[in-house]
Amino acid sequence: MLNYIWVGLIVIAISSAIGTDIYREVNNSYQNGKELEATYLQTSNLREEATGKIQIQKDKFNEHYKTSTSSNLELPILISKEPNGIRKFTIDINNNSPEIWKEMSQGALNKEKLSGVISEMLLTETENIFIIKIKIENISYIKLKSVTNATFDYAATAVTLALGLIGIMALWLGIMKIAEEAGFLKILTTVVRPITKKLFPDIPHDHPAIAAIVMNISASMLGLNNAATPMGLKAMEELNKLNTKIGTATNSMCTFLVINTSGLTLIPATVLAIRAAMGSANPGIIIAPSIFGAICAATAGLIAVKILQRMKRFQISNNID
Amino acid sequence: MSEQFKNIVNIISVVAIPLMILVFVLFGIFKKVKVYEKFIEGSKEGFDVAIKIIPFLVGMLFAIGIFRASGAMDFLVLILKPITNLIGMPPEALPLAILRPLSGSGSLGLMTELMNTHGVDSFIGVLASTMYGSTETTFYILAVYFGSVNITKTRHALPAGLIADLFGMLGALFICKLILN
Repeated sequence: MLNYIWVGLIVIAISSAIGTDIYREVNNSYQNGKELEATYLQTSNLREEATGKIQIQKDKFNEHYKTSTSSNLELPILISKEPNGIRKFTIDINNNSPEIWKEMSQGALNKEKLSGVISEMLLTETENIFIIKIKIENISYIKLKSVTNATFDYAATAVTLALGLIGIMALWLGIMKIAEEAGFLKILTTVVRPITKKLFPDIPHDHPAIAAIVMNISASMLGLNNAATPMGLKAMEELNKLNTKIGTATNSMCTFLVINTSGLTLIPATVLAIRAAMGSANPGIIIAPSIFGAICAATAGLIAVKILQRMKRFQISNNID
Repeated sequence: MSEQFKNIVNIISVVAIPLMILVFVLFGIFKKVKVYEKFIEGSKEGFDVAIKIIPFLVGMLFAIGIFRASGAMDFLVLILKPITNLIGMPPEALPLAILRPLSGSGSLGLMTELMNTHGVDSFIGVLASTMYGSTETTFYILAVYFGSVNITKTRHALPAGLIADLFGMLGALFICKLILN
């Protein structure tokens, strides 16, 4: 199953990137090579560089790009004069820029900037105000470029994430080792066994996996993610000791995973902090609904896991993926 | 009532880690365990585990990464829209529902954006934060947990996890409609 979903993600991603790019190329959605008329208000003029503001009427902009921007544009612009007399311009793209320009800047030579040449520059009757015609650099294959960049970025992100776990892992696996040696995990196991018997029938009654599972679930319920992950991995290690077929998940592992993915947390601290920071009148209104949602998720997940584990397709001996 | 519950949980969350460390260490000494030596012994595994999950995380995150970068989400939203309209889910919240199991940081950003544009206390704002809190980043957990014990044949864990996510989202929608409408 994981094989198919993995391939699915990759195939859908690349084919939709190719499809979108070809569509835009054919329709010339970014108006490559076409001129756009604008007004230029010069504020400073050095020998090779001039800065000022570029103004574009919304009607002209919308006609050019077939968009529906609702206000006239006014953006800072930098104009430089090449030795051969050609004037080049650069416009910084930020959050207030029109959507289509933001999109185009992702495929531009310099990220967050659009540049190009000024093909015509006429002085108006007022000093320092010009009518200019700009030709933005050719923009193409944006989606494929971002897919390419994403492969590098996310591969690096994965390593950063994993390395970031080293410290916290080492700490908690050390603490857990003490608890294990002292017999604390065994004691905890006997205490909670009546509750966990139904969920994990395959685990022997005094196995330390149970204690690790319970500690992981309690930690994640309290929102202590830094402690929950090492405990969860400790639980996986213990569960793997009971595994007779290395490399294949056991029923208990799947059940444990599903409990974790439903993310039952009593206080969703991150969301609360963001809501409070954004000035919510009642940030805490989402606590009870979130618990409800997570209980729905956990219940559905546990039912699903118990039904699916009986299906022929997911049997250990019959496992094709 | 809800305020009191929040306070109690907050206090427990603050006390839990220091207390747990204290109890384990004292209990270890009491049971005559060589605590420091054992700590180091267990601690050594931390590095291995973190290194072991790298290939699993790279494989998972890069697939999710290119999926997000390609804009395939827009197509998926287009396809799923008729279904979600039927159950009364606002179309603005649909990308969040799709992204939630795939990417933790991505869906957090999307949630913040939704609250920014529609208002923190609007229906969509509350729904977005509830949806975020109702489930976890299934793909990440799957990669890390199974990766740590070198398991590639995950059997029914992913389908069951995704069913859990689906019901978490539906549960969030249901409860938000109940509270706010």
